[in-house]
Amino acid sequence: MPVVDVDPDELRDLTGHSEKDDDELKTDLFNLGLEFEGETEDGEFQLEFAPDRLDRLSVEGVARSLRYHYGDDRGVYVPSTNDPEWTIEVDEDVPEGRPFVTGAVVRGVNLDDDALDSLIQLQEKLHATMGRKRAKGAIGIHDLTMLKGEAATGDGHGSKSIRYTGVDPHGDRFVPLDSDEAMTPGDVLDKHPTGETYADLVRDLDRYPAIYDDIGLFSFPPVINGTRTEVSTDSRDLFIEMTGTDQWTIDHMCNIVCYALDARGATVERVQVEYPERDIYADSDRTAPGVTLDRPDFSVSSKTVTHDRIETLLGIDLDPEEVVDCAERAGLDATATEVDGDTAYEVGIPPYRVDVLHPLDVIDDVGRAYGFNRLEPRYPDVATVGGRHERSLLEDAARDTLVGLGFEDLLNFHMINAEENFERMRLAPDDDVLGATDPVTIREPYSEDYTMLRTWALPSLLMVLENNTHRAYPQDLAEIGFAAEVDESENTKVAERRSVAAVLARHDASYEDAKARLQSIARAFGADLETPRTDHPSFIPGRAAKVVLDGDSVGVIGELHPEVLVEHDLELPVAAFEFDLAGLE
Amino acid sequence: MTRTLPDAEYAVLNTAHADEAQSIDHLAAATDRDPAAVRRAVFALEGEGLLAVEERVDVDVSLTDEGETYLAEGLPEVRLYEAALDAGAGEEPVNLGQLIGAAGLEGPEVDIALANFARKGYGHVDSGAVAAERGVDADADEEAAALAAVDAGDSVDDESVLDQLERRGLVDREETTVRLATLTDEGVTALMEGVEVAETVSQLTPEMLTSGEWRDVEFTEYNVEADAEHLDGGKKHILRQTANRVKDVLVGMGFKEMEGPHVDAQFWINDCLFMPQDHPARTHWDQFALENPGEIGDLPADLVERVKSAHLDGVGEDGDGYHSPWDEDVARGLDLRGHTTSLSMRFLSGYQQGDLEPPERYFSVEKVYRNDTLDPTHLLEFFQIEGWVMAEDLSVRDLMGTFTEFYEQFGITDLEFKPHYNPYTEPSFELFGTHPETGEIVEVGNSGIFRDEVLDPLGVEVDVMAWGLSLERLLMLMYGFEDIRDVHGTLCDLDLLRNVEVVH
Repeated sequence: MPVVDVDPDELRDLTGHSEKDDDELKTDLFNLGLEFEGETEDGEFQLEFAPDRLDRLSVEGVARSLRYHYGDDRGVYVPSTNDPEWTIEVDEDVPEGRPFVTGAVVRGVNLDDDALDSLIQLQEKLHATMGRKRAKGAIGIHDLTMLKGEAATGDGHGSKSIRYTGVDPHGDRFVPLDSDEAMTPGDVLDKHPTGETYADLVRDLDRYPAIYDDIGLFSFPPVINGTRTEVSTDSRDLFIEMTGTDQWTIDHMCNIVCYALDARGATVERVQVEYPERDIYADSDRTAPGVTLDRPDFSVSSKTVTHDRIETLLGIDLDPEEVVDCAERAGLDATATEVDGDTAYEVGIPPYRVDVLHPLDVIDDVGRAYGFNRLEPRYPDVATVGGRHERSLLEDAARDTLVGLGFEDLLNFHMINAEENFERMRLAPDDDVLGATDPVTIREPYSEDYTMLRTWALPSLLMVLENNTHRAYPQDLAEIGFAAEVDESENTKVAERRSVAAVLARHDASYEDAKARLQSIARAFGADLETPRTDHPSFIPGRAAKVVLDGDSVGVIGELHPEVLVEHDLELPVAAFEFDLAGLE
Repeated sequence: MTRTLPDAEYAVLNTAHADEAQSIDHLAAATDRDPAAVRRAVFALEGEGLLAVEERVDVDVSLTDEGETYLAEGLPEVRLYEAALDAGAGEEPVNLGQLIGAAGLEGPEVDIALANFARKGYGHVDSGAVAAERGVDADADEEAAALAAVDAGDSVDDESVLDQLERRGLVDREETTVRLATLTDEGVTALMEGVEVAETVSQLTPEMLTSGEWRDVEFTEYNVEADAEHLDGGKKHILRQTANRVKDVLVGMGFKEMEGPHVDAQFWINDCLFMPQDHPARTHWDQFALENPGEIGDLPADLVERVKSAHLDGVGEDGDGYHSPWDEDVARGLDLRGHTTSLSMRFLSGYQQGDLEPPERYFSVEKVYRNDTLDPTHLLEFFQIEGWVMAEDLSVRDLMGTFTEFYEQFGITDLEFKPHYNPYTEPSFELFGTHPETGEIVEVGNSGIFRDEVLDPLGVEVDVMAWGLSLERLLMLMYGFEDIRDVHGTLCDLDLLRNVEVVH
């Protein structure tokens, strides 16, 4: 879950509630769903919250939510914006893998250290979440005074422009942040630490994304900006650009950043985005080939919610006035209307919200504002008949039988590695015996101990014996558990089964001890047991047999091979059996 | 006065010495009797004041594998010291890197050597440079001497050295309790005055019963208060017991059990749950993707289309989709399921066992897999309790009522519902309850009402509320286990499993 660091003093300033002490703030935040996780070295609150409300990734966003919570603000707020002066011209050459761009100019920013830290944090957190580590959306913020725009061509929109295009990896040079050397974008990927981190995002492109102004290359999204336009506490006017693979995503990231700066008293000025005549812009419902967009897009979207659905979902009766009140306290607008003769609401969603996909999400907001904890639990008046699954009943009955025979019932992991499953049991995967089947394997496993699903259960029991040699004997252990193997005839390509496995580790354990117990189990389930002689590498030759239940060969029984025992540090004989639970059906 | 004693007691009394304590095993061997019978006789004689019984705790000290290695090769810190002196570290600090090879230290031995080097005053290590204290007699290392003594079966007088070796894992100390019997003065007197075998019998035999001889014999009295031998009966695993308890509660509440594949397509695990394919949670949950096999055979084509449409365009007149790519190849990829909600999706879609007629209640208590770090509270595989109710017009209040009822069955009262976010439910709630033992407020589950974007593609036209929690978490809450690895998996402690109280 995302964590945002928030200075409590800033929170008091931005909410206008200087009277709130830290504990009161923490309680209020908790009620909003922001949990206090601890403090940073600088005494900032570390707040954790669910990843739906990404508009709360900055102190400004948290303060906005608190003001609605306190009732200081109501309804949707949309900042006024000034007409565009700047244009982002998108070149034909822009890389197809990163065709979208958006932006805004923000003027009159008062960036003290705290405000600058907050802006940088918001940028990083948005990169990590909505931006999918910059793959889907990346933010560049520049000092506007350092940009020189040439006159935009043609249609009389703004008078200055920058250009989003593609650059040869070893073409133009610029000085990236945290460096004093002019580099090509290709050099940045090889030599600059930030470049190395994000190299995978652009490495496969023929031309790398690049932004130029009149002076030249100044930004290499999504990797790094140039030093020329670096933002500092002296910056007053900012140019914000965002590039990415989805227009909606970057537009909303941009909205969240603009709202945060607006909360600090800055003025948002729109910019134009001019797309070239390329087909890729026909695939998005926000763009079209050759279209000019006006950004940021602060339009208020809307959802229609019926009064009835609110009442049935929350389980309470509400007056329309209460619904409107709750919506407004959640920062939404709600206007009562009618749908097919029933009361409904036209609900306005502010442009910084990225989590409202469906009218249900509005109902959740209404419920939160109403207070879910005010709802009285009731047991639903719905009658159904309960029951266990047949396989689970069979498994339980078999387990009872084993326990009755004195076995300690165990529960082991289904994941194992090949060494334990095969080699330490003297099995080769192509032996034609129980356990030697094609295993289901994990892709790029973190742990070398767990790389595949076990094909049989006895290896797990041997590992338990190995780890418990200091415990009292006899150790009679059993497990009814999952085992699996690759099977092309299954839809999932995996045959999954429940295996019944047991070991008798005692100073005089013999084949007969195991067989006596196996007979008892077969009898309990009315199954006809035969044990024709077989060879199995895990068992002593001449002391191993197939387990045949009602004519089906379902397992193996015998005395474990001394090599297997010594391999597991065991100093006494072990008799064992394992068979498919389905044999008892 | 001649005394009469049962046969076993007679034999034991005659074998016991006044000046040499003998163990029960020894007496059993000497009298050629079953140790259990001798034990009973010894306790009986003690009761009559003829024998004195004392308990001695024998400590058997043995070298561990690591101890054996160091006995043969020398303790790592001694090797380091000697290598350091050879390299001139007595004069001037020498880089540690140069010494590791010379001292023959491998892997963890380096850390072990460093940890003990300074402790024993062999010198000190600063910024990777080793300075050796000259004139320390490393041949006189008392831990090395103790290792040799243990190996030779000699006793080690200094307990603190032995404690240190045990802490270092170089020796094992095993304690056994031995009962020793000695004749008391009264016992000696009794023997001198004469003892004979009584016409008492220790064991009622089948022959006695058929012949009627039992009428004429006297039965030896037992010391009925003495402990008998330790028996380990078999027991159902504590997690299985807890799972069954959960299943009983849920069946009683009208829930039917679900069953389905552990290996499943991401489609059923994630896509049906309206998890966007580029959602951080799909990597954040770090589910195990499979190398082999890689892809499912078939997915129901019409359902795939509807799920895809929900992801891209949303559901309903006002619905929006995600602004994320959706690729059927990703959906076809096979994973170990990260939650059993994949089963719920299979059942709700009708794909697993035909269309369902509401109302329905279903549950499962089955394994799920997460690519987490193994620690006392996290396992790579654990049991998830999953349940859902399908009915017309379910409300948040119904959800609250159902879960309040469920958790009360486990002593968790005062359930609190904290609004939460899940991609697949709305509204969603984290469930918190008061720990029955400690009184702390702890998280006990996650719940919500499935979104239209989940239900609509599945063809479900009524409401479905669902919740999940880990069975291990419930177990730890109810029984206070601190390290889940002690009970679940091959690192389990057999003693703990044998001695844990049963669930009832």
